[in-house]
Amino acid sequence: MGKASLKVTFCGIEFENPFCLSSSPVGNHAEMCARAFDAGWGGIVYKTLNVDERFKVIMPSPRLNSYNYNGNKFVGLQNAEQISDRTLAENLKDIAELKKNYSTKVLISSIMGFNDDDWAILARESEKAGADMLELNFSCPQMARKDAGHRIGQNYEAVEHFTKIVKENCNLPIIAKMTPNITDMLPVALAAKRGGADAISAINTIRAITDIDIDSLTPMPMIHGKSGITGFSGPAAKPIGMRFVSELYNDKGLNLPISAIGGIETWRDALHFILLGGMNIQVTTAIMRYGYRIIEDMKEGLLDYMNDRDIETIEQICGKAAEKLVDPSEFDIRYQVVSVIDEEKCIGCGQCYISCQDAANQAIIFDLETRKATVDEKRCVGCTLCKHVCPVWDCITYRTVDTLITPHAGRL
Amino acid sequence: MKKRVDINQIKQFKPMRKAMNFQEAIIESNRCLLCEDAPCSQACPAGTDPGKFIRQIKFQNYKGAARTIRNNNIMGSSCAHICPTEKLCELGCSAKELNHTIDISGLQQFAINYGIENKLEPMIKSKENMGKIAVIGAGPAGLSCASELAKLDYDVTIYEKDSEAGGVLRWNIPNFRLPVEMIENDLKNIRDLGVKIKCNEDINTKEKANKLLKNNDAVFLATGLNKAFLLSELKDFNNSKSYIDFLRSIQESKKEIKAQIENKIVTIVGGGSVALDCAISAKALGAKRVYVISLEHLSELPAVLEEVELGHLMNIIFKPNTRITSVKSIDNNIIAVKGNEIDWKEENNFSPKNAIEIEDTEFTLKTDLVIQAIGTYPIIKEVFSELETFGKGCIVSKNSLTSHKKIFVAGDLVNGGATAVQAVGEGKKAAIAIDSFVKGGK
Ligand SMILES: Cc1cc2nc3c(=O)[nH]c(=O)nc-3n(C[C@H](O)[C@H](O)[C@H](O)COP(=O)(O)OP(=O)(O)OC[C@H]3O[C@@H](n4cnc5c(N)ncnc54)[C@H](O)[C@@H]3O)c2cc1C
Ligand SMILES: Cc1cc2nc3c(=O)[nH]c(=O)nc-3n(C[C@H](O)[C@H](O)[C@H](O)COP(=O)(O)O)c2cc1C
Ligand code: SF4
Repeated sequence: MGKASLKVTFCGIEFENPFCLSSSPVGNHAEMCARAFDAGWGGIVYKTLNVDERFKVIMPSPRLNSYNYNGNKFVGLQNAEQISDRTLAENLKDIAELKKNYSTKVLISSIMGFNDDDWAILARESEKAGADMLELNFSCPQMARKDAGHRIGQNYEAVEHFTKIVKENCNLPIIAKMTPNITDMLPVALAAKRGGADAISAINTIRAITDIDIDSLTPMPMIHGKSGITGFSGPAAKPIGMRFVSELYNDKGLNLPISAIGGIETWRDALHFILLGGMNIQVTTAIMRYGYRIIEDMKEGLLDYMNDRDIETIEQICGKAAEKLVDPSEFDIRYQVVSVIDEEKCIGCGQCYISCQDAANQAIIFDLETRKATVDEKRCVGCTLCKHVCPVWDCITYRTVDTLITPHAGRL
Repeated sequence: MKKRVDINQIKQFKPMRKAMNFQEAIIESNRCLLCEDAPCSQACPAGTDPGKFIRQIKFQNYKGAARTIRNNNIMGSSCAHICPTEKLCELGCSAKELNHTIDISGLQQFAINYGIENKLEPMIKSKENMGKIAVIGAGPAGLSCASELAKLDYDVTIYEKDSEAGGVLRWNIPNFRLPVEMIENDLKNIRDLGVKIKCNEDINTKEKANKLLKNNDAVFLATGLNKAFLLSELKDFNNSKSYIDFLRSIQESKKEIKAQIENKIVTIVGGGSVALDCAISAKALGAKRVYVISLEHLSELPAVLEEVELGHLMNIIFKPNTRITSVKSIDNNIIAVKGNEIDWKEENNFSPKNAIEIEDTEFTLKTDLVIQAIGTYPIIKEVFSELETFGKGCIVSKNSLTSHKKIFVAGDLVNGGATAVQAVGEGKKAAIAIDSFVKGGK
């Protein structure tokens, strides 16, 4: 085997690999977490702790609904879950037990308070129980009270304030977990930094509606005849997660390590987030769907990718793709392409023709005799819609047209 | 779902199915339900663990999938092409309850090809410090046992009487079903493990056998089945061959055998996969008409369904529930076979003794060549006479142990003829038995 290593140092703490469970039911108690560690996960962000004496959590039911597309289940997942409904004492005992049995693994305590005192207690108790780090949950979008979760995460001052309280009450590295339910995440991340956060994690779930029962005229999940706009995660949320992570990474003022979250299932998903600036990776929905076992393929696949390219550490590639993101005003519009259809691979379905006819520049010629599609390069505006609708994945490509210095804008 | 077979490819003795491409592998692996108890993995006699390698493909860990296959089944490249998957891993597939079975062999081929194209690192060479083992026979059983022993750091040498390794896979299975490059790929891994394969070493005398026994910590015997049964009615004619000779002649010189078969009428005796390999090969070589004479009815044929279907596609003429009674010949050449239809005396007993003739069903088939595929038997007992045998000469064995404490056996030689993947599985188990024997003696 090659020289690549998956070890990362995040907030001064060493992870044997960057893959962690994100805070959710996948890390609900010690027995589950132990199995996750045994399966190979490098770290766990434990299910968000609550001071149960002051606020009793009861989970709504049913609390999940999967977003399906064309027969594919679980393209995304909507949940109406609250933070931990176990007692603080039970959770702290579990954290202590896990730290005792898995001293080389990283255990991060996720916490949520509703006032200064709550945050202080949760921080102190987590540290006492042996947690390696804290993650401050400023981002749950469906808390059963209106002064918590993503509403805190949308309020810069509150974020700065509670981060400061936590900082004053423990010596652990602090990650602030961001909500994507906001136009611009940066001001919140900067507020957390001012409050003393050592890292940012993003994203928590996106407020969404996944389905409506058209007989009872009720959105899903149907909770005794009512529903809510609640958190959406999984593969369909990944593009949005990638956006936020890259924005955090690319901001010179923030300059904090990022723990990346959002729809990660495979090593390739994880790599995408690493390339956009994540130094640590968190996963929930993929585990809900497939179980802890997916870690094996994440580790082996990423190691192979690195070894095949002589990349030795994750640090070496962290953020490499984020650096290529520019404002659309800076695109080089002298660069123009036209689509190219591989005649051998074309199966003659005419999908590209339909899309180009009705949604692009009518540049595809579809020969009804031979059932082959070709591109009229004089008309092609290089939008590549045809490439993306083609059912044969490698049939349509594009090439640059170097004769065209002036872009073919509005050409008919 | 399995890809369609391309008959033009068969005619050129090239792989009969197009390999699964990336897009197909992604879609097919995503149909897999990743079952908790993976019935596919449980059903594989060699422990190849398809449940795991399909999961690895699904999660885009393609090299990992290739590693899983070769680590678990050293003949995994060959098995991907020849395993009767419909009777093994694909049999219990949960996906068939939804729509159709996962194409496991297609995915296995995809992973193997990915490994080759992306230069999977070589397997780790044996340290050769645990003892010395001689393996006789380089078929799937011998190759598998040797590889497992090499992984356990033994110094292993295989003695093979033929000019090339692979056993039945190399010489008998037609290339449209098993491309030689796949055997080569498996052999490369085996050599990388440090296994030494000495070809043209026929262990055909007691002296040679005793020398191996003396110079090694243990001997593993996996010489398979080597001689074909022949019907007395068809013996000793110039134009009557065993399937062994026929299939081998295709591997050795396609031109020569094509000249003998083109536009001729060929009669195959037997109803198993071997008979169908002969029939399809004869047709591919340009035979005008090919008959398959079997005691069994079509639905009772031991051949896998796919091969029977392929036979139909190739216009092979099946003569089920029939038997040959005599021949017409001139100058020691058969010019026609004569036979009649049969019925079974009792149900589900397919032995020739259970067949009764049906009156007034006699037929005569003009024929230019007769190929017999009615079974094989081992001949090794002449060399290892100290070993207890049974039936047609197979070695009596339990958990690969024999009546000689230093000799271990597996594969067709013991089970009487099964599958390559079965031989691989037995070879793996034998390696564990040999390891504990050698360690016990030290
Ligand atoms: C035509 C045909 C088609 C088949 N198709 C399939 C299929 O599609 N799928 C499948 O799974 N199985 C198939 N089989 C069965 C499969 O090939 C066998 O079960 C398998 O090869 C058995 O492996 P083995 O190692 O026990 O024996 P073999 O493959 O027979 O190997 C024995 C080796 O020992 C060597 N040997 C013999 N005597 C000596 C000696 N004295 N000294 C040195 N070397 C010796 C032989 O040369 C040979 O290389 C087929 C068999 C035939 C005949
Ligand atoms: C059922 C469920 C419960 C969750 N509970 C919590 C929680 O208690 N605390 C928290 O910080 N995030 C929680 N999350 C959010 C996840 O940790 C994660 O940020 C989000 O799901 C996006 O990642 P994913 O696409 O990998 O699931 C929960 C998510 C789900 C699906
Ligand atoms: S997943 Fe388990 S806990 Fe949840 S509804 Fe089903 S059986 Fe109940």
